[in-house]
Amino acid sequence: MSDRIAIVDGIRTPFCKAGTDLKGFSAQKLGSLVIRELLDRSSIDGNLVDEVIMGCVANPVEAANVARVAALMGGLPERSRAYTVSRNCASGFESATSAYEKITSGFDEVVIAGGTESMTNIPLIYNEHMTRLFAGLMRSKTALQKLKTILSFRPHFLKPIVGVVCGLSDPVCGLNMGQTAENIAKQCGITREQQDEFALTSHNKALAHRDKLADEIMAVPVEPKYESVCDTDNGPRQGQSLEALAKLKPYFDRKSGTVTVGNACPITDGASALLMMKESKAEELGLPPLGFVKSYSYEGLSPTVMGLGPVYAISTVLKKSGMELDQMSFVEINEAFAAQVLGCVQLIESDHFAKKELGRDKAIGRLELDRLNVNGGAIALGHPVGVTGNRLILTALKELHRRGDQHALVSLCIGGGQGGAIILERAS
Amino acid sequence: MSYFKQTIDGDIGTLEFDTPDSSVNILSSAALTELEQQLDEIAGRSDIKVLLITSAKKSIFIAGADIKEIESITDPQEASEKCNRGKQVFDKLEKLPQITVAVINGACLGGGYELSLACTYRVAGFAGCVKIGLPEVRLGILPGFGGCVRLPKLIGIGNALSVILPGKVLDANRALTLGMVDRLFYDPILVEQAKTFGRAVLSKKEKVHRRRKTLITKLLEGNPVGRSILFSQARKSVMKSTAGHYPAPLVALDTIKSLVGKSQAEALRLESEGFGKLGASEISKNLIHVFYLDEQYKKKKWNDAEPTLTHVKKAGVVGAGVMGGGIAQLLAKNNVICRIKDLNNQALALALKTARDVYKYLLKTRRMKKGQVEAQMSLISPTTTYDGFKNADVVIEAVVERMDIKKQVFKELDEVVQPSACLFTNTSSLSVTEMAQCTSRQDRVCGFHFFNPVHRMPLLEIIATEKTSEQTIATAVAFARQLGKMVIVVKDKEGFIVNRILLPYMNEAAYLFQEGVDTKHLDDIVKRFGMPMGPMELADEVGIDVGYHVAHILEGAYGNRMRIAEILKTVYEAGMLGKKSGEGFYIHAGKHKTVSSNVQNMRGNTVFTLDDDVTLKRLVYIMINEASRCLEEGVVESASTIDVGMIYGTGFPPFRGGLLRYADSVGVKHIVSDLKNFQDRFDQHRFEPSQLLLSMAETNDTFYPS
Repeated sequence: MSDRIAIVDGIRTPFCKAGTDLKGFSAQKLGSLVIRELLDRSSIDGNLVDEVIMGCVANPVEAANVARVAALMGGLPERSRAYTVSRNCASGFESATSAYEKITSGFDEVVIAGGTESMTNIPLIYNEHMTRLFAGLMRSKTALQKLKTILSFRPHFLKPIVGVVCGLSDPVCGLNMGQTAENIAKQCGITREQQDEFALTSHNKALAHRDKLADEIMAVPVEPKYESVCDTDNGPRQGQSLEALAKLKPYFDRKSGTVTVGNACPITDGASALLMMKESKAEELGLPPLGFVKSYSYEGLSPTVMGLGPVYAISTVLKKSGMELDQMSFVEINEAFAAQVLGCVQLIESDHFAKKELGRDKAIGRLELDRLNVNGGAIALGHPVGVTGNRLILTALKELHRRGDQHALVSLCIGGGQGGAIILERAS
Repeated sequence: MSYFKQTIDGDIGTLEFDTPDSSVNILSSAALTELEQQLDEIAGRSDIKVLLITSAKKSIFIAGADIKEIESITDPQEASEKCNRGKQVFDKLEKLPQITVAVINGACLGGGYELSLACTYRVAGFAGCVKIGLPEVRLGILPGFGGCVRLPKLIGIGNALSVILPGKVLDANRALTLGMVDRLFYDPILVEQAKTFGRAVLSKKEKVHRRRKTLITKLLEGNPVGRSILFSQARKSVMKSTAGHYPAPLVALDTIKSLVGKSQAEALRLESEGFGKLGASEISKNLIHVFYLDEQYKKKKWNDAEPTLTHVKKAGVVGAGVMGGGIAQLLAKNNVICRIKDLNNQALALALKTARDVYKYLLKTRRMKKGQVEAQMSLISPTTTYDGFKNADVVIEAVVERMDIKKQVFKELDEVVQPSACLFTNTSSLSVTEMAQCTSRQDRVCGFHFFNPVHRMPLLEIIATEKTSEQTIATAVAFARQLGKMVIVVKDKEGFIVNRILLPYMNEAAYLFQEGVDTKHLDDIVKRFGMPMGPMELADEVGIDVGYHVAHILEGAYGNRMRIAEILKTVYEAGMLGKKSGEGFYIHAGKHKTVSSNVQNMRGNTVFTLDDDVTLKRLVYIMINEASRCLEEGVVESASTIDVGMIYGTGFPPFRGGLLRYADSVGVKHIVSDLKNFQDRFDQHRFEPSQLLLSMAETNDTFYPS
């Protein structure tokens, strides 16, 4: 067997809804926490780490190349290297697949691949009028010019651009992510009730499997006051009910929509990291791997239905690896929106779609709901955009160990119209 | 001997200071004499238009005047004459027909900077080794080679006071901002750039603009009323920081005040007079003694072994209490990765808070930026397991002071930590030997005793057991110095030295309290002696539970002479633990404290009749007595180690020269006779003089060779 790419260990912070427990942590600080903890748990010498690759969608303005800042803060030697990647919602995948490529090519031997995101701290931005006014002020030389520039001020100049809202919109198709989910609901005929029910299941599963997830989570003393310690995801809602979900107004299409904040994922803070190297290197260092990346793929599609990306990516990754969907112990389709996951399931099982879009003569396979997102998904746990992909890998590998099964498939839809999928293999 | 080398390059002459057979340049009498000859010769040279004064030593320009010469001064007249000699030479330098430039490539201190002040211009490099200032006051003297006269003229009276009175040493950038140097140049081409500068100034292409006076400085310095406000403010600030124990800054202040408006010759005469008052004083001698101790102990090799590792990158800390948190901060501050373990996350969160609180001050005073603090804080990673301890370079145990728990921790550490790593304990009084016995690496275990608060107290007591290897000691010493601490190495005996000497003093204070002395009065007596804090304040600060606990261990070990004063037990059992519980000997409300009448009432009705002198003697002599026992028993190898320990570990006043140097100045004979007297009057055991003191008294011996 060829030298497989191993994931030796992984760790993540709790995922916390934006503006809650982790609000005092910058993205670089969150990143440094998981890097440091991963180094300590695996007791690996920092000098052995060639590269840190971090996914981050909203790279903080004060930390250009947040991966490098986090790496140094995490105590890695100055000689180590680091870069940040963004494939929007799959940035946490991208860091791992980039690591795969770097290690396969022999460019790096040991890589920390992770993701970090502080959606709390995505700033408000001055609009173009205000920006122009500031630029004008800087250019003005005389007091009179300055005064003139200042007098051009109008109150609407102060209306900020909300970074988070902006980031969650696609400029090419002009839709925000919620609107693309509405498109899928319409196209696939997914009702509000189905979506709410799916959301409720996600919460219930996440609550039921808290102790399992605890295995991958590090405790974080809450800065800056250190009065409490955060050690669980705070998204899963105890006592969530269909009635409560039904009360919520559609958020993106007020009149005839079905997507609500209850059946979509919340914006979230968190970080995650994986320690990756060749199987042979892990053996040399005496580190037993968690598992291996067997195969992966990314596929593009129309940005207006970006939520269906996983269908394409899953089809491709199965073909590439020569495997079938029923060989997977379980499947993760990241829950950006309930509508989008249910749409994916429908199309994965559709012969018609397979023929028309995927170049297959019949459907990809059957995806029973009890094999889907077995420990709950982003609707309950939250979706720190640059991190989630990384968490899916980590959670899946730990779950394979708990089950003693061999393979799992994890996938994500990607804002801007892409899908990503990875097949993971447990180390025996 | 040739100290100076003259070269010439076009119009530019260079006088290079290069003390033979030495790595430093010092303005000794011999160097001054030769400089004078050189200047006399250069004065007549018409081919030299610009004279650079440079140094051939790496990272040192001129480190100052010769301290040995100052140390040997015995009377004020001699002191003034020494000054005048330097002044004469610098006067010649100032009056040279040439443009003169001091090219400062490194340390430029005291007399070195005063030489620079006599030059037309001063230029310096950017490097970290460039240190500029007039630290004379710290040695109990004042700048006597014209510094008090020329610096106020150059940078204004207010600025000059802010440099001279605290004996400040500045880096290149700050010196430039204050106007103490005129230009900064790149270090590798410093001399070339200085020459270019010299040529440009000569051809009037470049002009040096000294800082214009601001309105405020004009108002303060330009008239007698403003000046008197300025001087009285400066005096207040000196009194606040020195409590009046140190005469040098006050004399410097008066001198600078007196020479305003005087002619240069008269001003220089007044400066020499001021120096005369200080140069022969005992305080100056003591401060010089401490300066030498400092120099010596910073570098002291405690044995011939080489450390197993010279630079610690990662340390484990067990125990996230106040000490653990403080140690974690110190490690992070020195870029050492710190894995800190405790039983629960809440304790760890508190340790992080302790560390963060130290940084808060650094942020507030803008010594660090937020991102830097974040980065250092990120080096501290908390855990409730031993994950990450395996590859620690060293581990410091800082759990609660209980032998059973410490032993358990050492047993666990021995199993998880790589076998080559040293294990340290931060115990303040428990037996290190006993802890080491729980491990299979007794040679790699020693005590590593920090003082509270960790980031402020400079001392670190390293405790060697019988089994500790020399390599381990060398490693511990190197690590302590990496963390910026002053080290003493002592043997493993209960209380080691600092606590063993300090506790009897605190206990004696408690006895005095029992006898009815007023809490605040007692503290004041001790502070007047020069201690930074009185014993009652200190007890509250440390925590009465902590003090009581240590006192208990010491009583167990040393018996009757350390019998704990009843009142300590009473206060402890009443749950009054000092500052942390809000009430001890004082009631603490925020930064203010008032004497606790509750505790005063606990001691029954007594009338205190002792005079202050006896009170103080009881406190200080009991320490001297215990220190002599440490020497006698060989817990410590020299009197100077005890003095270093007491100065850096307890703040024993440096102007007294150290505990045992103070004993010498009083005379052991007198101390013994007082102790005997106290034995009869107060307690047979506590004041029983040690054998060493008795025999010293008999032979009129001293702790330091006289």
